[in-house]
Amino acid sequence: MSLKRDFTAGILRENPVFKLALGLCPFLAVTTSVENALGMGAAATFVLVCSNFLVSLFRKVIPSKVRIPCYIIIIATFVTLVDMIMHAFVPALHQSLGLFIPLIVVNCIILGRAEGFANKNPVINSVADGIGMGIGFTLAMVILATFRELLGNGTWLNFNVLGEKFQNQPLLIAILAPGAFILLAFIMGTLNILEARKKGGS
Amino acid sequence: MADITKIGLILMFVALVAAVGLGFVNRITAPIIEIQEEMKKQEAMNSVAGTLTSGDSLAFDSIAVDGLANPYAACGDTLKIVKVTTEPDSVEAGYLFIAYGKGYSSTLQTMVAVDMSGLVHGSTILYQMETPGLGANVTDPDKLLIKFNGRDSQGILLRKDTGDIDAMTGCTITSRAVADAVRDGLEAMDEVGLFTDAEGGEEVSPQPDSQVRDPEDVESAATSVDSTVVVSDETGESEGGAE
Repeated sequence: MSLKRDFTAGILRENPVFKLALGLCPFLAVTTSVENALGMGAAATFVLVCSNFLVSLFRKVIPSKVRIPCYIIIIATFVTLVDMIMHAFVPALHQSLGLFIPLIVVNCIILGRAEGFANKNPVINSVADGIGMGIGFTLAMVILATFRELLGNGTWLNFNVLGEKFQNQPLLIAILAPGAFILLAFIMGTLNILEARKKGGS
Repeated sequence: MADITKIGLILMFVALVAAVGLGFVNRITAPIIEIQEEMKKQEAMNSVAGTLTSGDSLAFDSIAVDGLANPYAACGDTLKIVKVTTEPDSVEAGYLFIAYGKGYSSTLQTMVAVDMSGLVHGSTILYQMETPGLGANVTDPDKLLIKFNGRDSQGILLRKDTGDIDAMTGCTITSRAVADAVRDGLEAMDEVGLFTDAEGGEEVSPQPDSQVRDPEDVESAATSVDSTVVVSDETGESEGGAE
């Protein structure tokens, strides 16, 4: 029961981006296209699950005074390992995701979940939380990337949606950094309005 | 005091395990990665050189030319030129070189195939770390590189720099980096006399964007795009601010 709760928390109720406002740096950087958003989401979810697993496993051993450095070492080591192994054995995947791997180290969702959840909860719950948060992060990125790619490039997942004419004169700001902030604000605002209505209604 | 020693030792132990693990994996993967990279380069060479001649198997010879330093000396690399000859009858087909150009957030490496008369036949981006969704689109040959085909060093100039190649929308810096690096490389090769001064205009492979233009056409095009050029120039400067 609570396992399911931990899993669904990340998707909407405690969505890392829209609700916790974590991981905004990689979020804004890679949401220029839906393809990138999916790639970053997959890579981040993988690292998130694994680091939650390890942190939760060693939570009794690691002294609380040096827990943060320990988490950082665990996460950084893990990301580097993934990078090297992927580069050597699945170069095609590395070519499309390689860009995002160094960005994962600085993704504070991962450290945030290690500190905020995994170090006080059993292993299974931590893994569930990792998967949920990862899906929530991916979902949030895909939503913003949809708007940015459509407005800024006229395409969705590289399919031409809005036509040649629009592509020649797209709304460039949507792809640039300020556009990301503006659109993110609109999305967060809409979610807050919806939530307020729901609360007021029931 | 004893407490701090214990904590320190634990932290040291964690770091030690991580370091040993990383070192171990690196020892296994590093040589494989090196081979992968080499293969990737070889593949790019074959595909770019394939635009010079059709069908034949090709031989590559590195040639060293004195005084041909990379125009972007900050990259610490000299201009690497490879001579391409067809395999059985060793006819000189042209040259390959790698142009290094400083873009918005990386030094782009462009491999260019150029024939004996100094006309570009094909090019591909070997390395770039430009903004995803903007400058990174340079890897799509249709966006920029295809426009270089059939031109010599004088033709490869952005419209904004008094040439007639359109930069990628919003990515002036990236486009300029590639175009300037390729042009500089071609000029350097021309100066040391690698190209036969040929009239080889007609042996150029057919290309969609003809470089032969009516002078009036260029004039009117230049004035008509002037206003939009300013806009995209500004967005170009702020490219990739999110990083």
